Amino acid sequence: MIDAATPPQHSLPALYREHRSWLEAWLRRRLGNAWDAADLSQDTFLKVLASAQPLAEIREPRAYLLTVGKRLLSNFHQRRSLEQAYLNALAQLPEQSLPSAEQRWILLETLQALDELLDGLKAPVRKAFLWSQLEGLGYCAIAERLGVSERTVKRYMAQAYEHCLLAQL
Amino acid sequence: MAAPSTEAREVVRAAARWLALLESGKASELDLQRLAQWRASSSLHENAWQKAQLLRQRFAQLPGELAMATLDRPDAGRRALLKQALGVAALVPAAWLLGRQMPLEAWTADVHTAVGERRRLLLSDGTALQLNTDSAVDIDLPARRLTLVRGEVAVTVPAGVSMAVQVPFGQVAVSAGEACVRLIDQACRVSVLSGTATLQPLRGAALALQAGQQASLQAGGAGPVTALDDLLLGWRDGVLRLDDRPLGDLLRELRRYRAGVLRWEPALETLRVTGTFRLDDTDRVLTLLAASLPLEVHARTRYWVTLAARENRA
Repeated sequence: MIDAATPPQHSLPALYREHRSWLEAWLRRRLGNAWDAADLSQDTFLKVLASAQPLAEIREPRAYLLTVGKRLLSNFHQRRSLEQAYLNALAQLPEQSLPSAEQRWILLETLQALDELLDGLKAPVRKAFLWSQLEGLGYCAIAERLGVSERTVKRYMAQAYEHCLLAQL
Repeated sequence: MAAPSTEAREVVRAAARWLALLESGKASELDLQRLAQWRASSSLHENAWQKAQLLRQRFAQLPGELAMATLDRPDAGRRALLKQALGVAALVPAAWLLGRQMPLEAWTADVHTAVGERRRLLLSDGTALQLNTDSAVDIDLPARRLTLVRGEVAVTVPAGVSMAVQVPFGQVAVSAGEACVRLIDQACRVSVLSGTATLQPLRGAALALQAGQQASLQAGGAGPVTALDDLLLGWRDGVLRLDDRPLGDLLRELRRYRAGVLRWEPALETLRVTGTFRLDDTDRVLTLLAASLPLEVHARTRYWVTLAARENRA
């Protein structure tokens, strides 16, 4: 029961006590996994703690937690799908060309960072950029693969560079 | 974080355009001169140009094929995961991906558990089920049949009735007692804790097991019969119990309960372990091991943990 006469005092411990298990249950339904749900709910509270928003001003704590939680969930899926693709790709490599454990780890970190930089690019722009950077394809070949003009490829490339550089500012 | 100024954005845009022009291979002498002028005209310009070069280098240093497969994955997010679980799972050596995938049949089963999760169920006829980590069963109570789709289930059947557990290699009939059925690669292992169980392979003779016995069931036959292995049964109480066993045995069991990759140096395989380890916090188990054995836990991420022999620092 909430006493209408005294507005709830939002301190992080109070917020945590009142809503943690609810948030965890919500995340768990989406993740199908108790562990990751527990992790993400912790992260959500940490984000809330670190955010500029004063706790006392949060009127709808659950709606607020959900907003933060959803963003983290989407990042989580992004990272998870990258990790999965990475492990799959590694598994296809012949034994002798496997990078060392250390290199694999550094590579994963690098790929995650670059993946975040590329996030938000439209699919053809992303493809053009990756083909150019990773496969060394020329604009003409990319244009052919995408079925667009070379001018368009140049525009895509500029867009992709701008996007990545802005994300690093 | 303050938003970048309009000027900074303009400089970045210009650098991006220069780079795109340069890489087109169609930049003329004049273009190159202009680029040199642009870079020289302001330290902001030169700075942005250097950053753009660094970005290119970061991509250039990646192993192309691996990076392409990762960054150009079909779709970011959940849908892609499911697709991969269906398509690629068969090609992937188990050691890389233990526990990370849940094939579609497991999602559509009546009851399933995620990695690290265990679940108890009581059916209306009094049969009790316990589902281990990463498992799935279909329940057909009128037919008195459970189908183990994935993972492991412990079935406790009340006196006077029996329950059949269907597996890809045959059927296990459990009567008046408790049995554990676990799918492993091309076989399944049946352990009888009380009562009796009959193993009927797809081809070949049936095998009756008594309490205290375990055997493997394959499509072509059942057996051999051996004594129960306590390490494989503790999960029903939420623990792994070992008495002077190789560490490798413990780790192979433990990683079923963890999302992600758990690996260890071969040298650690034969270290001896005695103890009871709780399954609800496997991170803690690893910490405990590191405290009591000459090994170190390298947790790159929670999903990528390697155990290494600890160097002697004399």
